[in-house]
Amino acid sequence: MKKKSDKEILGNDIETVRDIGNRSISSNYRGSISFNVEPFNGNEESILDSCPTRALSATKDNKRTTIAVDHGKCIMCGYCSQASPEFITIQSKPASPTKIKKQLSEYSNSQIQSEKSFEEIGNVLREKIKKMFGRSLAIREVDAGSCNGCEIEITALNNPIYDIERFGIHFVASPRHADVLLVTGPASKNMEIALLRTYEATPSPKIVIAVGACACSGGIFGDTYATTGGIDKAIPVDVYIPGCPPRPEVLIQGLLLAVDRMITNGK
Amino acid sequence: MNKIWIEKYKKEILGKFENKIDVALENYNELHLFLKNAQDIPEICNYIYGNLGTRLTTVICTDERKLGNGFVIRHVFGKENGEDVFIFVTSKIDESILSYPSIAMAIPAATLHEREIHDMFGIIPIDNPDTRPLVLHDHWDKNIFPLRKDFGLNTKIPRQEREYPFLKVQGEGICEIPVGPVHAGIIEPGHFRFSVMGENIINLETRLFYAHKGIEKLAESMKIDDVLLLSERIAGDESIANSTAFCQSIEKIASVTIPKRAQQIRTIFGELERLYNHMGSLAGISMDVGFPFGSSRLNILKERLMKLNESLSGSRILFGVNRIGGVRCNITDESKKIITESMDFILSDFENIVTLLKSKSSFIDRLKDTGIIPKRAAQDLGLVGVAARCIGIDVDTRRDHPYSSYLLHKKETPHEVMQREISMQKRNGDVLTRFEVRVQEVLESFDIIRASLNLENDSLYVNRPQNLEPFRSALGYTESHRGQTVHWVMTGENNSIFRYKVRTASFFNWPIIEQSVLNDIVPDFPLVNKSLDLSYSGNDL
Repeated sequence: MKKKSDKEILGNDIETVRDIGNRSISSNYRGSISFNVEPFNGNEESILDSCPTRALSATKDNKRTTIAVDHGKCIMCGYCSQASPEFITIQSKPASPTKIKKQLSEYSNSQIQSEKSFEEIGNVLREKIKKMFGRSLAIREVDAGSCNGCEIEITALNNPIYDIERFGIHFVASPRHADVLLVTGPASKNMEIALLRTYEATPSPKIVIAVGACACSGGIFGDTYATTGGIDKAIPVDVYIPGCPPRPEVLIQGLLLAVDRMITNGK
Repeated sequence: MNKIWIEKYKKEILGKFENKIDVALENYNELHLFLKNAQDIPEICNYIYGNLGTRLTTVICTDERKLGNGFVIRHVFGKENGEDVFIFVTSKIDESILSYPSIAMAIPAATLHEREIHDMFGIIPIDNPDTRPLVLHDHWDKNIFPLRKDFGLNTKIPRQEREYPFLKVQGEGICEIPVGPVHAGIIEPGHFRFSVMGENIINLETRLFYAHKGIEKLAESMKIDDVLLLSERIAGDESIANSTAFCQSIEKIASVTIPKRAQQIRTIFGELERLYNHMGSLAGISMDVGFPFGSSRLNILKERLMKLNESLSGSRILFGVNRIGGVRCNITDESKKIITESMDFILSDFENIVTLLKSKSSFIDRLKDTGIIPKRAAQDLGLVGVAARCIGIDVDTRRDHPYSSYLLHKKETPHEVMQREISMQKRNGDVLTRFEVRVQEVLESFDIIRASLNLENDSLYVNRPQNLEPFRSALGYTESHRGQTVHWVMTGENNSIFRYKVRTASFFNWPIIEQSVLNDIVPDFPLVNKSLDLSYSGNDL
C-alpha cells in the first residue's frame, strides 16, 4: 500500500464553513411559502383545501381576502403552490423561529425580516451565553415521537461543518445537567409521561424549544388518539422553531431566541 | 416472467390443499389463496414456509365487517431467491369468534405481528405464548382497538395506571439497568431493560412503540396524495423507500405504468438515500468505539451528501421527490454534472477514510466478534437488509423483487454469483461484518447511480386516473438502507384508503438485538445498536 502523507490522511484543511449563512442555501431549497399578488383574487377554497395540514387560513374584511400561513403547521410539501402557482411560490429562505405561537402566522401582506448568517448568529450567541452563564449552554434533546427527520438536523449541528460547540453550546446526557430542552415530535401518548418527567427533572430556569412542525402543532400527524398535537399541550413551550425539518441555520436562530428569553426572564 | 412462478406455486399448493382452498386469484406478482376455514391457517402456512422455501413478508389484518367479511387476516409470504412471487393466505374471522390459530410457534417471525393485531384489532392468536401489549402501552384501556372501523381517529382515551410485566431475572449479584425512553444521545425513544451480572449482559428486553403516532389509522382519513406525504414521514431517513413503496401500491391498483425516466430518478434518489444514511451509521460506529476522528470525517461526507440532496430535490432528507405516477423533481443535465462531481470527491475521500479506519487495530478490535447475530435466530426471525446479509442470508429486494429500474443492474455472470455466495458464507454476523457490508454497499450505490445517470428522454410522470376502483389492493416494496420495506394498500370508496399496512425493515430486525448482545458487556450495547441502525419511528408507526 502506498504510504500517505499526514496531510492526505487528515484531509482537506478546515471544513468548518466560516460563512455558512443563507448564501449556502441552495436556490432549490423549499424553505417557506410566500405570497405573490396582493390582494388575493382567486378561489381561496381550492388553495385552503390543497393544504394537508390546514396551515393556510383566509380572513375576509371589506371584500378583501387575506390568506395567512401558519409556519408552525406548514410541512413544505408545496401542494398549495401547485394548486395556485400564480399566488403562492416556494422560496428558499426558511421561516424564522418565534417566542409566541401566534407569530408563526405570516399574512400575505407582511414583510420578511432581515437575515444573518450561521456564523454571525453563532457569535452573538456565544457572547450572550458568556454574559449570562459564564460557561456553556447545556442542551438536552428529547424525541417525543418525531419521524427522525429533526434528529438528523440536530445531529448535523454537531458535525464539523456546523460545529455548534465552538459557540459554547453543548449537548448533555441528562436533563439534570440541562438549561434547554430541545423537543421534537407531536408528543405521542406513549411518550407523554416520559416527557413530563424529563421536564420536571430539568432544573430551573429552563427553556423548552419545540423543534419542527410536529412539535409546534402536531404537523401532519395532527391531534389523534395516539398524539397530543404539539409539545405545548404537554409542557410549557418558550420558543417555536418551524420547519419540516428545520435546517441547522434555523435551529441556531431558535437557540439565540431561547437565550434572549432567558436573559429577559432572569432580570 | 413471474407468471411462470405463480402458475407453478398455484399448482403445487392447490394440488395438496384443493379441498381447503376456496379460490386462488392472481394480482401482478401476488398469488392470493382464500381459505375455507381459518383453522387451516397453520397447516397451509407451515407448508408454504417450510416446503416452498419462502420467508414471512408480513401479516395484515383488516376490519371488513362493513363488507360482510368479518375480520380478514392475510399471511403474506415472499420468495427471496429470484422468483418474484408473493403468496397471500387469506382467511376470514367471524366477528363472534375473534380468534385464529397462531403460527408463531412454527414461524417465530409472526410473533410480533400477532401481538400487534391483538392490540390493534382485539383478535386473539390462540397458542401464541406472548400476548402482552405491544403497541398500546400499559396505560391504554384494554377494550380499545384503534384499527377497528368503529373507533374514531380523534377519540381521546383516559390514562390508566398499570405496570408492564418485564421478564425478571433473579439470582445473587444480578442487577437490572433500565435505559430510556429518553436516551443520552440524540436518538429516538425506546426502553431497554438489561439484566446484568457485573458488566456481562444476561438478558435484554426491549420495549418500543414510544413513537406510536397512529399512522395506519390516520391514513384512512386522508386524501391519497396527502398519504404520500405521510408515508415520507414514517421514518425521516427512509423517505424515498417508504414513499416509493406507497406509490407502487397505488400505481398497481390504478394500473399505471410510470415512465422509464421516473423509474431511473427513483433509483438515483433511493441510492442517494442509502448513501447518506450508510455514511451516518458508519460515522456512528466510529463514534461509539471512541474514535471521533473517523466519525468527523464521515459526517463531513454525510453533510456533503445532504447538501447534494438539497440542491437536487429541495429537501435535505429528500422529502417531496415522489408523486403517484412518477416523480416531482427532475434531474437535469446540470444536476447530472453536480452529482458526478460531488460523487467523485466523496468517493475518493471515503476510500481514504475506510483505509485509515481499517488500519487501526484498536478500532478493528472493538468491532471484531462484538454483537454476533446467531444465524439460527436470524433465519427464524426473518431478518432483512444489512442485518441479514451480515450473517450470510442473501436477501435483497432490489434483486429478488425488482422495482424502479433495478432490473437493469442485476445481471451477474455465473462466476460473480459463485463469488457472492462464497463471500456470504464467510460472514459471521459481528459488528465488523456489518461495517464491511455497509462499506461495500456504499461503493455499489455509487456504481448504480452512475449507471442510472444515463436517463431516458421521456416525461417525469403520468397522471393517475381520478377515480380508483374501491376495495382493490396491492403490495409495494422497496429495499431501504435498513432492508425490505413492504406497504400494502386497500382502496376504499370515494378514493379513500380503506387500510394502509406498513411493515418497515426495523419491525423485523428489532428483536434480534436482544439475541446479539448476549455475549457482550453493557458498554458494547451502543455499538451493537448503532451497527444495526434500526429506526424507532419506522417500527412504532
